[in-house]
Amino acid sequence: MEKKLNDLIDKALSRRKFMAGAGTAAAAALIVGCNNSSPAPTTTPAPTTTPAPTTTPAPTPAAITDADILTFALNLEYLEAEYYLYAATGSGLSATDAGSGAGTTIVPTTGTMVTFADKYLQQYANEIAQDELNHVRFLRAALAAAGATVQPRPAIDLTFFAGLGTAAGISGTFNPFTDENAFLTGAFVFEDVGVTAYLGAAPLITNKASYLGPAAGILGTEAYHAAEIRTIIAGNASSSSASAAQTAALTNANLISALRGQISMASGNLLAAETTLSTTSVIAADSTNAIAFARTTDQVLHIVYGGTAGVGVSKGGFFPNGLNGKITATTT
Amino acid sequence: MATLETQQLDDIIVKSRRKMLSLSTSALAGLVLAGVTKKADAQAAILMDSDYLNFALNLEYLEANFYNLAVFGVTIDKLPTPIGITGTGTQGTVTTKANFAAVPFSLPTIKAYAMETAGEEGKHVSFLRSALGSAAVAQPAIDLVNSFNTLAMGALGVAAFDPFASDANFLIGAYIFEDVGVTAYHGAAGALTITANLEAAGGILAVEAYHAGLVRTSINIVDGMNLPAAPTGTLTGYTQKISAFRSKLANVTLPSPPPVTNGGISGQDDQGIDNTQMVTLNGTAATYPSTTILDADNNSICFARTPAQILSIVTGNSPALASGNKGVFFPAGLNGNVN
Repeated sequence: MEKKLNDLIDKALSRRKFMAGAGTAAAAALIVGCNNSSPAPTTTPAPTTTPAPTTTPAPTPAAITDADILTFALNLEYLEAEYYLYAATGSGLSATDAGSGAGTTIVPTTGTMVTFADKYLQQYANEIAQDELNHVRFLRAALAAAGATVQPRPAIDLTFFAGLGTAAGISGTFNPFTDENAFLTGAFVFEDVGVTAYLGAAPLITNKASYLGPAAGILGTEAYHAAEIRTIIAGNASSSSASAAQTAALTNANLISALRGQISMASGNLLAAETTLSTTSVIAADSTNAIAFARTTDQVLHIVYGGTAGVGVSKGGFFPNGLNGKITATTT
Repeated sequence: MATLETQQLDDIIVKSRRKMLSLSTSALAGLVLAGVTKKADAQAAILMDSDYLNFALNLEYLEANFYNLAVFGVTIDKLPTPIGITGTGTQGTVTTKANFAAVPFSLPTIKAYAMETAGEEGKHVSFLRSALGSAAVAQPAIDLVNSFNTLAMGALGVAAFDPFASDANFLIGAYIFEDVGVTAYHGAAGALTITANLEAAGGILAVEAYHAGLVRTSINIVDGMNLPAAPTGTLTGYTQKISAFRSKLANVTLPSPPPVTNGGISGQDDQGIDNTQMVTLNGTAATYPSTTILDADNNSICFARTPAQILSIVTGNSPALASGNKGVFFPAGLNGNVN
């Protein structure tokens, strides 16, 4: 068995290398195919803490290239950059950074520039805004350098936080731009999703020499950000002098976390539930091995589109006209 | 185009991957063993996935012992639920100061973070040991006394540094490890050939980055408290010096073009916390006050380091020898083929 496995790996690796040289699309399609159409595991009755993966007869997978995966990531970076830039400066990406043909970004009519009472929080917000802007620029440049189409920013709806808040059970109308604590909860919505999205997508990359390193490096940055936001939210709420708004930021973050877990469970079962945030549990990882969660592109789409269930959901939530590029529709 | 063999391989990979996701360790053990056998077949000193995972295991032994000693006052093999430390290579003990005691934490949140991290690093040890099975290396000799003193002299110019003396010292001790862990997993990820191993490494990379973000944010918060023992600017100043020293150890010769940090330092692949930063954002001039909680390059992408660079940092051999590096944290060297 082991010998056979080794032989298979050897042959396939050299074959894939050849295919990658001839064109990454075919190799990528192969990998996507095996993710989508594999049979459920049957051999080892392993102790599981998550339900067994379900086999879903997905629509015929299109050829997904590395450029498509990077474009998927670029859409998410546009969303993050818009959120942080609007919070930090009151306006979003420049026309150059948004790209030709960019969609519009809908923002609350009450304004977006957050008034930070805490100068440290303002520094954190500005740093993260610059980081996300850098990611937009990096991915746009990488796609251009690869000769791929650089998709512009899609239409983005930053008023969707209200709908997301209602779905999560946050009382009142959730608007992350009203004050620094609401801003933290808004940031919480994105950062862990960014970690899980890069973690899910990185292994699909076929040109590892060129793109795996940057993807892993951006994953690292998203995790730094996520930890920063989680540390502050949990720490603030634990203080004996915590304000009602600081306490609410933690409560609301965990409501969002629960909602994300539910949406993910409905689309693939690879993630049972997220880690409830507290000062004794800041890191979002599985409780057995302390390994961060991964999400499929499908699960991420379900979350950013606002949780609508089913196959073929291609817009909604933060992206009223859907993502740009090829990975745009849900498959479960 | 897809051959029967390809289908079989894909089935195996997918099944194994699913098993890993369902937290079964037996599947991963099989995968790693497959890597070991493949090496024998090739009859060459090509590093396999198992070698990289064992390299990571050495680092996780170091981190797990540091955090568990800080919180519980005991090494990982002496916990109420002991973590295994046996395996291939030469098993060693952990050197601590005489009459060792856990950190006398005065800040409850810092203690809580330490306890959480202790648990998570312990789980990384257990996970890698399970994944590697009988190929897992034993815990090497680890020094948590002279190591910190040596680094303190090199980085801070002080003769002695005890990371177990206080909350603030503990955070600085943790700072020394976490960003290094991120760069180590990042550097090794591209070398992994088996998808399941890559996914696991990516997941641990993320947790190390979470830890690093947690530690750096906590240091900045404690620094802002302006404690008598550490007036504002003291701890962040330490982080800048430690990062500069780590970069120096890891880069005897700078690559061309030289790395540039997110804070704009040219010639360093590491960046401490700097609260004097200004960023441009969507404007035309750097008018927005910022900081460097993130440790990354000027694209805001985390740095990667090769195993040799990591060996330079953890053993002090700069540049690293081809093999047999020892010193600082690993006085008898690392176990396994990456040493």
